[in-house]
Amino acid sequence: MEKNVNAIMPGLCARVVVEVGDKVTKGQEVAVINCMKTEFSVASEYDGIVKEVLSKEWDELQVGNPIVILEVER
Amino acid sequence: MINRLLIANRGEIVARIIRTCKELGIYTVAVYSEADQHAPYLEQADDAVLIGPSNPMQSYLNIEALIQAAQRTEVDAVHPGYGFLSERGAFAEAVEQAGLIWVGPSSTVLKAISSKCYCRHIADGVQVPVIPGTLNPVADGGSVVAYGRDRGWPIFLKLDKGGGGKGIEIVNNESEAEEVLQRASRIGQMAFGSGDCYIEQVVEHPRHIEVQFLADKHGNCVCLGERECSVQRRHQKIIEEAPSVVVTDEDRQRLFERARNIVLKIGYEGAGTIENLRSADGNYYFMEINARLQVEHPVTEYLTGVDIVKWQLLIASDEEINFSQADVKMDGHAIEARVYAEDPETFVPSPGTITRLRLPETGTHLRIDHALKENGSVPPFYDPLLAKVIAWGSERAEACNRLIEALADFQIEGIKTTIPVNLAILKRPEYLAGQIDTGFIDNNFLV
Repeated sequence: MEKNVNAIMPGLCARVVVEVGDKVTKGQEVAVINCMKTEFSVASEYDGIVKEVLSKEWDELQVGNPIVILEVER
Repeated sequence: MINRLLIANRGEIVARIIRTCKELGIYTVAVYSEADQHAPYLEQADDAVLIGPSNPMQSYLNIEALIQAAQRTEVDAVHPGYGFLSERGAFAEAVEQAGLIWVGPSSTVLKAISSKCYCRHIADGVQVPVIPGTLNPVADGGSVVAYGRDRGWPIFLKLDKGGGGKGIEIVNNESEAEEVLQRASRIGQMAFGSGDCYIEQVVEHPRHIEVQFLADKHGNCVCLGERECSVQRRHQKIIEEAPSVVVTDEDRQRLFERARNIVLKIGYEGAGTIENLRSADGNYYFMEINARLQVEHPVTEYLTGVDIVKWQLLIASDEEINFSQADVKMDGHAIEARVYAEDPETFVPSPGTITRLRLPETGTHLRIDHALKENGSVPPFYDPLLAKVIAWGSERAEACNRLIEALADFQIEGIKTTIPVNLAILKRPEYLAGQIDTGFIDNNFLV
């Protein structure tokens, strides 16, 4: 099934550090958000495979906006 | 004299610059990104131009968009404010090449002093002590190890082109020297286009003491006193004051002399600041030059009665400074508290919408520089500075008490602010006793 990794802060997407097909583990950093000039690491809450990357550098993000979609085993 | 001025910035500093322009009869053009389209200061400007999306890379950091706005509104000068492109030689050059007046030191000077090693050489050349370390960038990890073996650990690696508290890495022992140098170089390459690092030794319990100066195009340079900015978090200032409780008259004269020597050697024209560190044993070391109007300039304006923005505009218009060092009077004491949109305990940013706003009453002893309004938004894309509250007193305790009273009266809801920590600092016995250094917040508030 699919699970999203969402923005935890509003701001700009500083970078997404995973690519489609990458295996990620729970707690692993998948993206960095720049909020008011401070960078915040966004970690995955699941083990899974990156299915889709929805954000890119400089995209505006609101809290809860999906950044990547993971394929997660049930 | 400048007739029409574009202000290439956002927030409180735009309102601040407009205030002086109104007094001088200068027509003002403000610029804004989509996120700032309802900002209150836009109404104070004579004209306001949309320059791009919220992302600062496409708006406030977009040289092309700013030059186009300047040409479209037929201004004859550009004031860069602070932060953003204010110290960027390439922006100053673009302004100059468009045939406009740049309010600040020339692009040639800005490009030269963007190298901290260049500034260290200049200071050293006019017999001003710099923070002990290397004058040139280090060649490799081996030379970092050699330096540390000779002088002891830890040491700092600083990026030659770094700034804004970024690009400072500590090396605790020789085994991590290579790795830290690689990391710092990589960050420098990405953020500042240069990976060059030089070495600075650790100054124990340093106090941050800076000298405000004005230098015109006729060889005059006048110092407007010092400011102490030792209370910082993440290498960024939060409480600033003037005068400093530790700077003696003798120290002050020596710091002024040093500042003048550096400024004249560089050929710097405009307002600027020489930042120094003062070690616990009372030695002063040159740190860097801030080639812009500083956030904390109101503290100096309160003490001296000199309008620094006015002099920036006059100097840019080739006017000569019409007063001497002896004419500069420093009366009383002023303290500024920066109010940030941050959680007061963790300093995590807190953007959002201001649902309620009640500002304390300002007057002779209290000044508030801000760009706030009720129901106004604080976007997540820019610096978290919300307001600067500055109080004056005939002596330090009076200024401090007035500032405490004002901050306690400052009512803002909808976002978190640093007001509680501003108050806690000002009420701390160590602060009242003047026992502060740059580790004050880390040691007292971030447990």
